[in-house]
Amino acid sequence: MFLRLLLLVWIAAAIVAGFAWAPTVPYLEETTRVLYFHIPAAWVTVLALGWSVVHSVLYLRTRKLEHDDQAAGAAELGILFCIGATVSGSMWAKAQWGSYWNWDPRETSIFFLLLIYAAYLALRSAVEAEERRARLAAIYSVAAFVAVPFLMFVVPRIYQTLHPSPIIGRGSEGGMDPRIRVVFYAMLIGFTGMFYWLLSLRVRTARLERRLAEA
Amino acid sequence: MATNGSSSGAAVWAILRKECRSEWRTRYGLNAALLFSVTTLTVVSFAVGRLSDRTDLLSAMLWVVLLFAALASLSHAFVREVEGRTMTMLRLVASPTAIALGKLLFNLLFLVVLELVTVPLFLVLMGGPPPRWGPFLAVLALGSFALGTSSTLVGAVIAQTRGRGALFAGVSFPILLPVLAAAVSGTRAQWQGGAVGADLRLLASLGLALLGASLLLYDHLWED
Repeated sequence: MFLRLLLLVWIAAAIVAGFAWAPTVPYLEETTRVLYFHIPAAWVTVLALGWSVVHSVLYLRTRKLEHDDQAAGAAELGILFCIGATVSGSMWAKAQWGSYWNWDPRETSIFFLLLIYAAYLALRSAVEAEERRARLAAIYSVAAFVAVPFLMFVVPRIYQTLHPSPIIGRGSEGGMDPRIRVVFYAMLIGFTGMFYWLLSLRVRTARLERRLAEA
Repeated sequence: MATNGSSSGAAVWAILRKECRSEWRTRYGLNAALLFSVTTLTVVSFAVGRLSDRTDLLSAMLWVVLLFAALASLSHAFVREVEGRTMTMLRLVASPTAIALGKLLFNLLFLVVLELVTVPLFLVLMGGPPPRWGPFLAVLALGSFALGTSSTLVGAVIAQTRGRGALFAGVSFPILLPVLAAAVSGTRAQWQGGAVGADLRLLASLGLALLGASLLLYDHLWED
């Protein structure tokens, strides 16, 4: 209860600080503030995929349905954050680059993750038996994860990127305003906490549903 | 049950022969796939006309046609067993890995036959300039290898679900996206006189990575 309240206050404070306290970057102007939502959402998207794959492997090794709940829950949340990251990025691209979608490598990669999540969930919805669904979904999740690094490798050679995060992440991080950095990291922690909380809710619901079905 | 090296090799060989024989008996899968790929080819060729000087478009079109043909046909090897209710019988005589490897070899053979018809027809109909045969065939071979390994694994998974055929294309696609990107880039490079080494390495390593993952995952394919 206390932690949930803390999370609420934490994220609310970070949002207010992002708009009222942190300055903007000269060239990006007001669109700087997308940083506090877009990047944490993209980070949770990747985190959720990793979480889902780890629990898929654990399911195949131990055959405990708890792991399948974790994998499925993470994927469901992952697609939600992935849509958030894609939409916010696309709106930012319209403001900065003048077009919503241009197959920039970053756009391609996030779209690719969206496809993997969607295919994984579509596959789950097509199997009724619980154990079989868990097994097939885990197999697919591992296979799709194997393909991820290859796309990251091949796409930048085909398209040039205009995406700014290499600039923020590498060159000018020292030069970035400390207030921006504080809000950004606060949001990153807030989003991660929110993911963890939602996931634990999802896993608990799944466990209760199963107990109800068995009773 | 085949467990040790030599007898599982024999089991894979037996599965491959059985696949070829049952395919040859009806030729249903092959006919459907050939008809499909010729249809796609006609659609492309009819819609855009001859593209003799646009090698960038030609390489994209070639792989779109091949990808569609593969997506329409490569789940067939497993779906056939489920629809004919022969999967249980097959599992009694061979290990999951032997079954899947046999079907992988069959799918690769299937792709070769498909490409033997589709690729020359594509080059003739679209009026493309003659390719540099060495790099062209290498990209084609490694692209098909990666296409075959991923489709075999996804095909085995998809055969156990509802709505098998409809799901196969959508579920395979995320894994095939890097294959498509690298194969198109390699085909374009060989036409435009560039180096294809990087794309070949990428296709080979993706194919091998998927094969490696498959060998670990095949064991979990059937349990109920």
